[in-house]
Amino acid sequence: MTMIQVSDLSLTYPGTRDPAVDGISFEVGQGEIFGFLGPSGAGKSTTQRVLCKLLQHWSGSATVMDRSLTAWGQDYFAHVGVSFELPNHYLQLTARENLKLFANLYPQDVTRSEDLMAVVDLTADADTRVGQFSKGMMQRLSFVRAFQHEPRLVFLDEPTAGLDPVNARRITDHLQTLRADGCTIFLTTHDMHIADLLCDRVAFMVQGRLALIDTPRNLRLAQGRKQVQVEYRTGEGRRQELFDLDGIGGNERFAELLRSEEIETIHTQEATLEDIFIRTTGEQLL
Amino acid sequence: MDVQRIWVLTGKEIRLGLTSFMSIYVLVAPVVLSLLVALIFGDLFAQTPRLGIFDAGGNETLVQALADHPSIQTRSYASQAALEAAVARGSVEWGMSLEADFANVLREGGTVARTNTYRWGEAGTRNLMLIETAVARAVVEATGLVFDELPISVEVVQLGEASAATWSQRLLPLLLIMAIVLSGLFIPSSSLVDEKQKGTLVALTTTPASLLDVYLAKTAVGFILSGLMALIILALNNAFAGNPGLLLLVIALGGLMSSILGVILGSWSRDMETFMGIIKVLGLVLYAPGILEIFPQVPQWIGRVFPTYYIMNPLLEISRNAARFADIAADLAILLGFIAVLAFVLAREIQRQQQQLALEG
Amino acid sequence: MASPAISVKDLSFSYGDNLAVDGISFDVAEGEVFGFLGPNGAGKSTTVRLLTGQLTPQAGTAELLGMDIVSERKKAQQEMGISYESTNLYEQLNAVENLNLFARLYKVADFDAMALLERVGLSGREKEHVANYSKGMKQRLMMARALVSRPRLLFLDEPTDGLDPVSTQTVHSLIETATREGAAVFLTTHDMVEADKLSDRVAFIHEGRIVALDTPAALKQRFGMRALKVEVGHANGQTELREVALDEAGTAQAVHDLFRDEHVLTVHSEEATLEDIFIDITGRGLQG
Repeated sequence: MTMIQVSDLSLTYPGTRDPAVDGISFEVGQGEIFGFLGPSGAGKSTTQRVLCKLLQHWSGSATVMDRSLTAWGQDYFAHVGVSFELPNHYLQLTARENLKLFANLYPQDVTRSEDLMAVVDLTADADTRVGQFSKGMMQRLSFVRAFQHEPRLVFLDEPTAGLDPVNARRITDHLQTLRADGCTIFLTTHDMHIADLLCDRVAFMVQGRLALIDTPRNLRLAQGRKQVQVEYRTGEGRRQELFDLDGIGGNERFAELLRSEEIETIHTQEATLEDIFIRTTGEQLL
Repeated sequence: MDVQRIWVLTGKEIRLGLTSFMSIYVLVAPVVLSLLVALIFGDLFAQTPRLGIFDAGGNETLVQALADHPSIQTRSYASQAALEAAVARGSVEWGMSLEADFANVLREGGTVARTNTYRWGEAGTRNLMLIETAVARAVVEATGLVFDELPISVEVVQLGEASAATWSQRLLPLLLIMAIVLSGLFIPSSSLVDEKQKGTLVALTTTPASLLDVYLAKTAVGFILSGLMALIILALNNAFAGNPGLLLLVIALGGLMSSILGVILGSWSRDMETFMGIIKVLGLVLYAPGILEIFPQVPQWIGRVFPTYYIMNPLLEISRNAARFADIAADLAILLGFIAVLAFVLAREIQRQQQQLALEG
Repeated sequence: MASPAISVKDLSFSYGDNLAVDGISFDVAEGEVFGFLGPNGAGKSTTVRLLTGQLTPQAGTAELLGMDIVSERKKAQQEMGISYESTNLYEQLNAVENLNLFARLYKVADFDAMALLERVGLSGREKEHVANYSKGMKQRLMMARALVSRPRLLFLDEPTDGLDPVSTQTVHSLIETATREGAAVFLTTHDMVEADKLSDRVAFIHEGRIVALDTPAALKQRFGMRALKVEVGHANGQTELREVALDEAGTAQAVHDLFRDEHVLTVHSEEATLEDIFIDITGRGLQG
């Protein structure tokens, strides 16, 4: 089932010549984590703002949850969750009060707040004024706020930025659980590691256009080298050798290494999403 | 302490100060107020003397003649009581209560015409003379008579206390305090709070520059601005008089006190809200002597309770009464005492803040 | 052997009753990148503040290039470049003015702001107010500011947080250049991939104590599960994931057979990542 269907979406900000988004088309399926990647200013957040109904005056068509985006009214947000990068909470209120305040704005019963606070380890600080929170705690509170009304579609921006690996993993684990429950996630991030880990498909945006869309795995295989790197330890220290993947089964040197040396690591040389990012967008930046 | 670094930091303060909203407000406010006061209470308005009239009846010709007079402003009142009230509050400077058929009584002669007149205590002599001439001319016009001796009995009642000071003179002390204290205090304190919140203060103090260097640079900027503003305000109000060296000395000491106080307050305040909270209370205390000067009926000694009195009073003494050093030495000694106390507090505050910065960050 | 760039002995600091740094000791050599890792509140920032002279230690000593951080604070700070976790630039000034101000505070002779801005990829935008910069540009300017005095000690707190991969690459190459010229780098980061890539050694701090300190490779081996994950492709286009245990008798033959008999698409030995180690070391503490 298709959750988001965008075709030929364009938007030019008033007073600028070049379009911020220049005729992009893509689909996001239900229960998919869709990574939207690219350098700052490439049009990622503009696209995201269009889909969050924050921007008007775009052209093309966008259908979300089987209804045209323009036909959706305020009830759109009963089904959608949003968490942008800058945490925006009421600093004078406690975490729980912040969540309550937002929960009351929804037509449906909001029951997930406490569970989600437990997931991101905020329960102990639920009654602390948000003004005293660290950046990471505010980030985690934003996460709870975006998901507490059980949205079917969530727009997430850098959900793990500034979080230590333990808290980052709490979030990524939970996103995978939500995906299994059918929640669709539209994710923008600069962290290629997270994108690779979470996303079913990623799109790279460069100067308002989509340069690539595919699964991370396909991209990495397609753009990698068909080689295997073997690291092994000898008396003098660590060494590495590179073998072509084709015909490696008959390679004597490879067989000998495996037999006689203390192997530390063996890795095929797929491209990382980071390599692909730099290759796809780098030239334009520098 | 490193003079070269303080110099670099002072340059930065001035560069940043010019672009901040606070400084525009602080620098422009006293100047605009000076000009406004001059406009409203100064010579501009004083050129038209204001006469009030109560006509008991039958003096239309005379009243009309006065109303038509080009160099005075005439207003009519419906009752004697209304006229008296208008004079008492200074709405008109001179009030005339004309008995019924005053002009006719004059023209027919024989009996003495009576008029009760009221003079506003603070009315200027110049305006009173203009009104007197205007009245005399109007009487001649209305009656067509020329008198060697006016058969009028005039009874003058003064309403309101007499005062020689004009409004612009009375507001000068407050404006001076605003100039010296506002610009001396606000710029260092607001920039300090801002730098604490943005984290640039930590960035500075982890370079070879010390917190003392940073604080001294901020003090220097407050000091320079407050001196500059004091001179502008004195000049705008035609008050740059007396011994110029002595005037500069007092301005310098006042600026020093204000800017050190500003740095201390900025250092104490965690954020802009705390700072504005402190200023709301403290502002009244600092302005008090200037506000008291507006009301001459308040006993003078009350002003002496407030620290800024010892900046304001010497300046006024020099500018108005050509005071010499000996005349203001006592005030200056007290001012120096305040500065010494503040410098001590600042030194302690630097010690505290050094650790506090890292703890809050 | 030359004295270490940073030498810390039994360093402690507490905020009231809360012991934030609890008697830590370590050395950082010149030209070394020292990754300092741990969860929020473990004592990372406190350690950085102690080493950069913002806080005075309550016990223990820290020497930077042989200078005591307490008695020779300002002298030691002359040799430091610091990039803070949250950007603290003068936003109403432009990039050149920001750098020049700090160059003058460090009294750097013949400072060339443009050359430095060129290196961080900000030339062309140098006359704009920093307030108009994107987060990534500010972050790169922070890095440039840390390098203004050609410091021998670099303290970098989350230098690539929120940067896109291209900007991250720029920052990483600046760090490599600095270490090649002999600077010691004290790096705090939440990005374990970055820590792994850049650090010569990493220390994990947890509840104020250093709980592990070694090269990333040694740590990964020590904490790793020894297995090969192999993805093989079948003729019908399906792929299959297989796991081969390492360090067992016959492993070499099994691996070799696999490569000979199957169409291997990807193969990866499963070293623990620094992220796994981080969670292993600190996660338990966080939950219990």
